[in-house]
Amino acid sequence: MDHTGPLDNKMRRLLNYMPLLVFLIFWQALSSSGAIPENRLPSPAAIAGGLAELIHDGLPPGYGLAGHFAASIKRVLSGALLALVTALPLGMAMAYLGRLGDMLRPFVELLRPVPPLAWVPISILWFGIGDGSAAFLIFLGAFFPILLNTISGVMSINKRLIESSVILGAGKRDLFIKVLVPGAMPSIITGIRIALGIGWMTLVAAEFTGVRSGYGLGYMIMTARDIQRPDLIVSGMAVIGLVGYCMDMLIKMAEQKLLRWS
Amino acid sequence: MKRFAIALIALTLFAQASWAADTVVRIGYLRNDLHHLAAWTAIEKGFFRMEGLNVEVAGIFNAGPEEMSAFASKSIDMGYLGMAPSVTGVANKAAGIKAVALANSEGSSIIVGKDSPIRDVQGLKGKSVAIPGYSTVQDFLLRKALATVGLDAGKVNIIVVKPPEMIIALGSGQIDAFIAWEPHATKAVTKGIGRVLVQSSEIWPGHPCCVVAVENGFYKDNPAAVKAFAAAHVKAIAYIKNHPDEAVKIGVKYTGMDEDTVQRAMRNITYEHIIKEGDVKEYLQYLIRFGYVKPLDQDAFVRQYVDTPTEGGRNK
Repeated sequence: MDHTGPLDNKMRRLLNYMPLLVFLIFWQALSSSGAIPENRLPSPAAIAGGLAELIHDGLPPGYGLAGHFAASIKRVLSGALLALVTALPLGMAMAYLGRLGDMLRPFVELLRPVPPLAWVPISILWFGIGDGSAAFLIFLGAFFPILLNTISGVMSINKRLIESSVILGAGKRDLFIKVLVPGAMPSIITGIRIALGIGWMTLVAAEFTGVRSGYGLGYMIMTARDIQRPDLIVSGMAVIGLVGYCMDMLIKMAEQKLLRWS
Repeated sequence: MKRFAIALIALTLFAQASWAADTVVRIGYLRNDLHHLAAWTAIEKGFFRMEGLNVEVAGIFNAGPEEMSAFASKSIDMGYLGMAPSVTGVANKAAGIKAVALANSEGSSIIVGKDSPIRDVQGLKGKSVAIPGYSTVQDFLLRKALATVGLDAGKVNIIVVKPPEMIIALGSGQIDAFIAWEPHATKAVTKGIGRVLVQSSEIWPGHPCCVVAVENGFYKDNPAAVKAFAAAHVKAIAYIKNHPDEAVKIGVKYTGMDEDTVQRAMRNITYEHIIKEGDVKEYLQYLIRFGYVKPLDQDAFVRQYVDTPTEGGRNK
């Protein structure tokens, strides 16, 4: 048993960021000395400056970072939500009804390895160059982790639990809501975390090809590339990394609240 | 016998040296960009070889900024690309190159849907118009066209779509118009999807488009090769003018498009090699005005950017 107080935990967590800080200082030193040319890899200072520029001037000029962020979040959440409402029930059905699961497996195994990026030309043909296309690509990325984790989550429930519930008179509805869903929840939430991560990564690729509203973090990075500002490209990447990190933390917090009983 | 042996060795070494005299030049150009016909012509007709250059196509790019990255990483020595992205790259210090010749002027158009009610540039108000990318020649031309009719660029929804997707987007009605380089513009017409609203030659007559660029390090180490390259390029430009049918065949080979499209597209392009410094300045001013490039000493920039060996220096 670790006899550490809350202050020690805070110290420990801060200490975890030390290597990152050292790394940044080292990198800045290399850049300032000229060992790393600015046009190959921008320095941390240039990236910070770029961030300020993205917030203040916007890229392209007039399109602020807040707008890009809002547009991207909206696309990711729509795609991920769509994936959740389709993959969750399907996964539960596939796990509970063995035959259905077996018959649908080939489809899943054939589609899963295809990266969402490969779907881009088809997606544009079907949905055009707007939010629909981006949401579809994110849906593709988010669907399979949720599906597979739901299936494995249900499969991992102790069969005795299911049998006992049935013997005690649980109907199908009660079985699903009171036994299967809570039982599979840890796995499902892991699936959602992975799905959101993949969805967020797919977003940049999805927006690279064009976006009607002119807003989106991936689109912003593409613009930085067009006008050849590597500092803005990396600043954009930093924003994407930061947002992804925050989303993951939020899910972890939600997970802790939802799984208080486990 | 000994003298014979020495002579033989000397001859072999001399022969080796002659072979080694062919400088290797790694070049890049844009995929399916009919503006770069001079490069393909010089390759096909052996003009580079005649100047003692061993040209290697080291990269075929989808857009100018990509080619600038290749210059920055020194993966190519010389290349054909748009004046706009090359000026942007040098001004933003992303790569160091010099323009040694013009590759072409004009050769872009604004295309609207075949049955579109839009009759003139004024009609673009409130519509969606696609450009190949920010700070491209086409981006500039569109804004110039809008400014000429007194239309604020903010009143038009300008979005970036990559040229291969432009025709699909226009055909399915997701955009109302696009501006692109040949042969994409003519392809929309020959496919029956679009019609020309206005040619770039009407927006800015004689506007420069693509340049022949050299990476600064290569330029410093191989000035003779750069001069030879420019000479071969000028020969290719003359060839295109004097042998249009042959030129079309080369265009078909390198773009994979049908002869009708290539022939019609080429009529919109002017192949010439002289860079006017005033034009470079105009691009620079537009890039600064739209915030793609921070303000800088324009004259100093132009002096550093333009270096045309075939004209013996600079051109006003």
